[in-house]
Amino acid sequence: MHLTSRADSSLSLVSSSQGTNFAEAMALRSISRRFASRVLSYRSSSVASLHSHATSFGFQQVKEEEKSKLVGNVFTNVASSYDIMNDLMSGGLHRLWKERLVGKLSPFAGMKHLDVAGGTGDVAFRIFDAVNSVKRRALRKVDEDSLEETQIYVCDINPNMLNVGKQRAAERGLGDNKSLVWVEGDAEALSFDDNSMDGYTIAFGIRNVTHIEKALAEAYRVLKRGGRFLCLELSHVDIPVFKDVYDLYSFKVIPNLGELIAGDRESYQYLVESIRRFPPQEKFATMIADAGFEKVEYENLVGGVVAIHSAIKL
Amino acid sequence: MVRISRVMLKEAGNAIDKTLSEILVCPLSKQPLRVCEKTKSLVSDTIGVSFPIKDGIPCLVPKDGKILEEDGDASKAC
Repeated sequence: MHLTSRADSSLSLVSSSQGTNFAEAMALRSISRRFASRVLSYRSSSVASLHSHATSFGFQQVKEEEKSKLVGNVFTNVASSYDIMNDLMSGGLHRLWKERLVGKLSPFAGMKHLDVAGGTGDVAFRIFDAVNSVKRRALRKVDEDSLEETQIYVCDINPNMLNVGKQRAAERGLGDNKSLVWVEGDAEALSFDDNSMDGYTIAFGIRNVTHIEKALAEAYRVLKRGGRFLCLELSHVDIPVFKDVYDLYSFKVIPNLGELIAGDRESYQYLVESIRRFPPQEKFATMIADAGFEKVEYENLVGGVVAIHSAIKL
Repeated sequence: MVRISRVMLKEAGNAIDKTLSEILVCPLSKQPLRVCEKTKSLVSDTIGVSFPIKDGIPCLVPKDGKILEEDGDASKAC
């Protein structure tokens, strides 16, 4: 498989019988880029692209009902090596990205926070540390009671990921800590009350959801007025030469790493394909605004390899 | 040692259950849930569905919900 151009390589991965919708979507995207008429492409293909996310498993076309099961299998398989693979694939950068995410959240003692798709607990632990660090307490003279009231809910649809997270919590001595609550749940149908959360984060999770707009609607529902929405996700790179280097890395290096370290090439092939299929930064920002959020912004990190989208429910 | 830690885990589990029932709602109806000690589950009375709690983790994914049978047997009620 030669990466002569992104459109060609993508088409060759999909069988001809299923290729039509995908080919149309890809053609539309390349046309819009050439003529810089983004508005036109959003209007005509916005419905198509939402539907196409729900029926795409990486570059494969799947039935909507099946997508969540297929994604579930991926994460059941990768759960035990998830953290090591993240370190390897991003050269440890994912830690900095998560630090940035939590920094933007500005956690406070007594807050009720929901971290969705946060299975292994990376973001949750960082928020916990930010709220409970002694230095912070000394500086801010935080109320001991509100520290106890801090509630960080970690919600994930995959029990294997949650078990890894719980184990990590136990290793840190936080196994019995009442501030961390682990819940198995679906981002599209959250089991939390309306207007109950001060913060909502989803890190590297939203592209695995079948219906993005449902996840965004649920995020909006559970947040209180003034609550912050933050999404950290792998996104699209537009910078000329860097983009090709990134594509090469994604499609050549990562699946091989997956096979070598996790013994699972296909799951990591899915992961890199799903990044390409996820809406680009501007489009995703529009979707967040459509869910009712205000002050929607995004920040590109590493030239767009990662983007942090933030918004507020007013 | 193992026995002691098992007892502690169970007690911790019970304490967590009470906190959870106050905060969590049914993912389908968004109505409050009731803790059922006997079956270690969270019950959504509005729609008659129960969700299991495994290893202290409540499983509130919609498809994990079990529809409760309507039977007059009081001993099964929870």
